[in-house]
Amino acid sequence: MSTTRHETSGADLASRILPPGLHADPGSRLAARIAECRAQGRPALIGYLPAGFPTVEESIEAAVALGSNGADVIEIGIPYSDPVMDGPVIQHATTTALAHGFRVADVFRVVRAVAERTDAVPVVMTYWNPVLQMGVDTFARRLAEAGGAGIITPDLIPDEAGEWFAASQAHGLDRIFLVAPSSSRERLDLVVRAASGFVYAVSVMGVTGARDAVSDVAEQLVADTRAAGAQHVCVGLGVSRREHVEEIGAYADGVIVGTALVQALADGGPEAVGALARELAGRA
Amino acid sequence: MSQQSTGTVLDAIIEGVRADLAERRERVGLDELRRAAAQRPPALDAESALRGPSADAVQVIAEVKRSSPSKGALAPIEDPAHLAAAYEHGGASVISVLTEQRRFNGSLADLDAVRAAVRVPVLRKDFTVDEYQIWEARAHGADLVLLIVAALSEDELRRFLALTHELGMHALVETHTPEEIECAVAVGARIVGVNVRNLKTLDTDVETFGRLAGLLPQEAVIVAESGVEGEEQIALYASHGAKAVLVGEALVRSADPAATITSFREAGAAARARRHVPEAEAEALAAEASSLREAPGPYFGDFGGRWMPESLIAALDELTDVFEKAKADPEFTAEFQRLSRDYSNRPSLLTEAQRFAAEAGCRIFLKREDLNHTGSHKINNVLGQALLARRMGKTRLIAETGAGQHGVASATAAALFGMECVVYMGEEDTRRQALNVARMELLGATVVPVTNGSRTLKDAINEALRDWVASVEHTHYLLGTAAGPYPFPAMVRYFHEQIGEETREQILAQTGRLPDAVAACVGGGSNAIGIFHGFLDDPSVELYGFEAGGDGVESGRHAATISLGRPGVLHGARTYLMQDEDGQTLESHSISAGLDYPAVGPEHSYLHDIGRARYEAITDSEAMEAFRLLCRTEGIIPAIETSHALAGALKLGRRWVEELGPEAAAEKVVVVSLSGRGDKDVATAAEWFGMLPDDSAEAELGEKGERL
Repeated sequence: MSTTRHETSGADLASRILPPGLHADPGSRLAARIAECRAQGRPALIGYLPAGFPTVEESIEAAVALGSNGADVIEIGIPYSDPVMDGPVIQHATTTALAHGFRVADVFRVVRAVAERTDAVPVVMTYWNPVLQMGVDTFARRLAEAGGAGIITPDLIPDEAGEWFAASQAHGLDRIFLVAPSSSRERLDLVVRAASGFVYAVSVMGVTGARDAVSDVAEQLVADTRAAGAQHVCVGLGVSRREHVEEIGAYADGVIVGTALVQALADGGPEAVGALARELAGRA
Repeated sequence: MSQQSTGTVLDAIIEGVRADLAERRERVGLDELRRAAAQRPPALDAESALRGPSADAVQVIAEVKRSSPSKGALAPIEDPAHLAAAYEHGGASVISVLTEQRRFNGSLADLDAVRAAVRVPVLRKDFTVDEYQIWEARAHGADLVLLIVAALSEDELRRFLALTHELGMHALVETHTPEEIECAVAVGARIVGVNVRNLKTLDTDVETFGRLAGLLPQEAVIVAESGVEGEEQIALYASHGAKAVLVGEALVRSADPAATITSFREAGAAARARRHVPEAEAEALAAEASSLREAPGPYFGDFGGRWMPESLIAALDELTDVFEKAKADPEFTAEFQRLSRDYSNRPSLLTEAQRFAAEAGCRIFLKREDLNHTGSHKINNVLGQALLARRMGKTRLIAETGAGQHGVASATAAALFGMECVVYMGEEDTRRQALNVARMELLGATVVPVTNGSRTLKDAINEALRDWVASVEHTHYLLGTAAGPYPFPAMVRYFHEQIGEETREQILAQTGRLPDAVAACVGGGSNAIGIFHGFLDDPSVELYGFEAGGDGVESGRHAATISLGRPGVLHGARTYLMQDEDGQTLESHSISAGLDYPAVGPEHSYLHDIGRARYEAITDSEAMEAFRLLCRTEGIIPAIETSHALAGALKLGRRWVEELGPEAAAEKVVVVSLSGRGDKDVATAAEWFGMLPDDSAEAELGEKGERL
């Protein structure tokens, strides 16, 4: 259990909260892949799909289609009963997965398939309670064994991440924390120093869901996050079209697409996911 | 225009300032400045920034300054924006920018550059001698101006301060002498600086601050200026009560200004903390450490915390800050007490329930929260949070509700405060509590039925959180129970503490002693923590929380979170949860919508773990039996939630009779938190009891005649 406190007195926030010696994994496949994309003069394309939707087998095929058609990184989501950061499309998909009997351990099968059958780097995106209940260290070990590179944690802030810091270092996993337009500079510093692989910049104040335009606060947030020392900053929430990828790619290291892919999977199965991935990657 | 002569270096400086000012006025008229000022976003709250997050914090006003009359050139500062950003990284609360050009080599361009680069408040540091400069400061995005008492007549100071406040800004009112402090106090300065530089000799004497500190007004923010070479001076100022320190030279000459600021804040906080520990307060602190009543959070043992998306952390920080300041502000506490008394009808009664108690075999007293305006304890918390929302400048309230009591209370507060109100309510609950939906709508609130998940309270909270993430700038989430992320558990308890404090006084007055037990129902646990608060440090008083056992704990259909759950994270707190092996939240079941929640406030989890309070499950049937009994014996229709506590009290009494015998049991005293009235539950109860068939228990009771 974390024993960190929130009072602000004394040393800066990051020094008070982060364990001494916390470091990014030098062998991070995630960081390497994003750097590679940069060297090619393009943003990394990061696609999200929930494990188990509509079934575990179909979610594997969908993730493989995503990885074979232009996604550089794939976020495999763990369906959860109380997804407070998700809009209706992803809520519907994850509720369906749970209704079809999804179990948390199924996520490792999906991760393994992506690692073995595609060139994409798999990471897991999950609300924190399922990880806590499996045991943070056990979850991290099994994820690393399956070929996963890290975890995106939408409802875990560095302030509460004591166990995760230890487990991620023990198993060589990346810690992808989020920054938001509302984050203070002190918190940007904290998150940047706590994170590894990349920092996930939330483009709008809101929940997941496709939007027509990507908000212009994202660019400022990326700039501020870089100023705080982040090497790689990727932008998510509201991204659904190739033009968004190009627009965001002009200033960010990666572009994260979720809802649009989940909708494609719901409407047209794994093939539709592959088609949308090609379009998003500019290969269509 | 002031023609005041000070007989100091100020005179020559001000002469130059006036000449430059005349030149700028030629180029930019006042009307143009006013238009520019109107287009700026509102000024940031510098006073709040300088008060900092806690009583012991010391804030730094970091100055961008190229040269000074006393020291000449200090640093070239080619990129003031860059330097200011470094200051902000180090934790500076305010950035001060010199704009005087002749002696300090500053400019409005510097101010513009810094304003664009930082998110913290910015002080325009200049020699203000004309209202024009105040408009100018606002037009360039400043949040604070400097008013030097020595350079102004009292009348000017008063007018300039009024204009500053009118424009939404604050003023750092700078003093050097007891007379100047008196003048600053007379005009109502809220931020008072003491500059330890002697204006005649230009020497600094850091001891000046300590000599003047006793004259400074307690309610103002006290700022120490000049003389800082390192941590030693910061500690000295802080030990004399400085809340903030203005630092220039030491920072512009520092190789790592951000780190320097951090170390200054640390040194200041340590010094402030030391100043009140050695005395009698050490004793009070030790007592507090062993007290359970005032557990401040964010953690209660292993429970609590802030397991929340980063997007909401800024709002939680702001709320924590505003709440902590409000608690210490007599104006706020007086307003809260006034509303509680004149609007909610506090203090609520403590009624002995003799006919009801006859069924239990002990004495039972009812804390009558049902007599509050809106019919439950919920109004306490709602009024407190609405007051905080108003302090934060928020105009929209959102709330979740289960039984509708909290939704009704929220809608009530919104109507009273003239705020917009949206209430999220599980679709299942809107059906169970249709009458309360109508009440909320009559009060002007919008009720949104939530159709995902189990369509009950937990899903209403999820939906409210989704709303809040997108609306946090102008919306306050008025969480209805002592659960959720910090500061909610500690804050909601604070607004309900009056239940326990009144009860303790009342029971002592009525029985001459403390009760043997206190009983309350627990969903999230707000009425329970409120009444427990009064007795947590009285070890002889047993505390009982009664959870919803639904169809029975063995049935799996219940909401007995502590009795049967295990720790996990939900809705921002680590606490006991009803969850499956994978950590998926289980659907809870209870006849009472208000207890139909699969988690519980973290402080209850802690009190359970340390054994200070006991939590037991009451089934729907047991609760409804107690409901009926109270109606028939006392003429009080309780809420079904509350009926769980009543059923628990009956069990306690019967247990005592069994264990101690009827005579000893009859001496025992239980206080039950009668958290709400049952008007809203009449339909549910009628359904539950059917049409009172002949062989029902009522019929049996009826045969006994006099007991009805």
